Amino acid sequence: MAIKINVPTPMRQHTGGKAEVAATGATVRAALDDLGRQFPGIADRLFEKPGQLRRFVNVYLNDEDIRYLENLNTAVKDGDELAIIPAVAGG
Amino acid sequence: MDPSLERYSRQMRFYGVGEEGQRRLLHSHVTLCGCGALGTVLANSLVRAGVGHLRLVDRDFIETSNLQRQVLFDEHDVAENLPKAEAAARKLGAINSSVYVEPVVTDIDHTNIVELVKDADLILDGTDNFEIRYLINDTAVKLNKPWVYGGCLGSHGQTMTILPGQTPCLRCVFEAAPAPGEAGTCETAGVLGPIVNLIASLQAIEAIKILTGRLDQVNRDLLYFDVWDNVQKRIRIAPLLGKVDCPCCRRRRFEWLEGEQGSHTTSLCGRNAVQVAHRAATTLDFERMAEQLEALGDVSYNRFLLRFQAEGHEFTVFPDGRAIIKGTNDVDKARTLYARYIGH
Repeated sequence: MAIKINVPTPMRQHTGGKAEVAATGATVRAALDDLGRQFPGIADRLFEKPGQLRRFVNVYLNDEDIRYLENLNTAVKDGDELAIIPAVAGG
Repeated sequence: MDPSLERYSRQMRFYGVGEEGQRRLLHSHVTLCGCGALGTVLANSLVRAGVGHLRLVDRDFIETSNLQRQVLFDEHDVAENLPKAEAAARKLGAINSSVYVEPVVTDIDHTNIVELVKDADLILDGTDNFEIRYLINDTAVKLNKPWVYGGCLGSHGQTMTILPGQTPCLRCVFEAAPAPGEAGTCETAGVLGPIVNLIASLQAIEAIKILTGRLDQVNRDLLYFDVWDNVQKRIRIAPLLGKVDCPCCRRRRFEWLEGEQGSHTTSLCGRNAVQVAHRAATTLDFERMAEQLEALGDVSYNRFLLRFQAEGHEFTVFPDGRAIIKGTNDVDKARTLYARYIGH
């Protein structure tokens, strides 16, 4: 499956400044792993340890929070959009 | 129409508000936590809209670098060394003298937050860090009061409305705050005025809906915008309610409100400055302090704050013993400096 991943500003240093990158995989986890393979360094920013997202990083599949879907095991299909959105602290 | 309502005529003509909604607004009480970028836009909107009582709580004073986005402040306020809450209250009094605006210059923490919000119908977030937002969240959930979160950085921002028991709370959606250095601060990433205005305006309309009693109109999604990258997202969060094992709204463990989490001494977002808080209640005698510090060079003070320089740092001290020390982000160093010049 080929999907799009939105990369938040604070993580773009790992994607050469790209806000949107393509990734492949059958699940959210596989797609994020593919992202990590393409852009070494980003996996550390996303995962606490393998299979566990950092607690302040939320992942949304087509604007739905994966925590009420099947989390990292949620299946993805061609054309899906995955957004990584960290908590925004300033103000 | 009641002539005293003339100034609100355009707002009342809007079908969703009407005279009934306006009367509710006029009798409402809001506590606004933080009066910086988001806070000034919020305060301006609510005072013009005609809330009854606005309590403005802020710990900081105004600096030149605030003027780019903090809409209630001007160069005179910087020259006068005014705390933000005080300067904002003066401006707001001229905008709408019929609103009771109550400035409170203090650092909100677990010891004073209940007192600051217990009589409010709504709590608004104009703060700049997650430590205080989790504290607001704990308090709002415990006291069953609605609150509206907003956060901005660089060109992006997000907002959500929390109606305890009816919507997910902040900790359902964001389980933890980014660690220092993980998500950037206003200092490293900067912040643009328009994203602040956008997010605060969205918070303000949520406030008006809640205060006029129109909970049915409240936005139940997490809204996310990046005004530079042209991104707008509406994330459905309602299904998280009851689905996540939230320590706050599900297990009712109020770690921030109980003081188990959070610290008094914090590096300030975007400031290269550290706030050192004095834990015991105190009232400083600025005149005496100024005499003691005279040997260091210029010491200036007014009713609200005292300022001096030492070891290349600028110290701003508040009557409650709190100090903001500029020129460092190192919390331990700031504590040492505080002990050296202000006391233990």
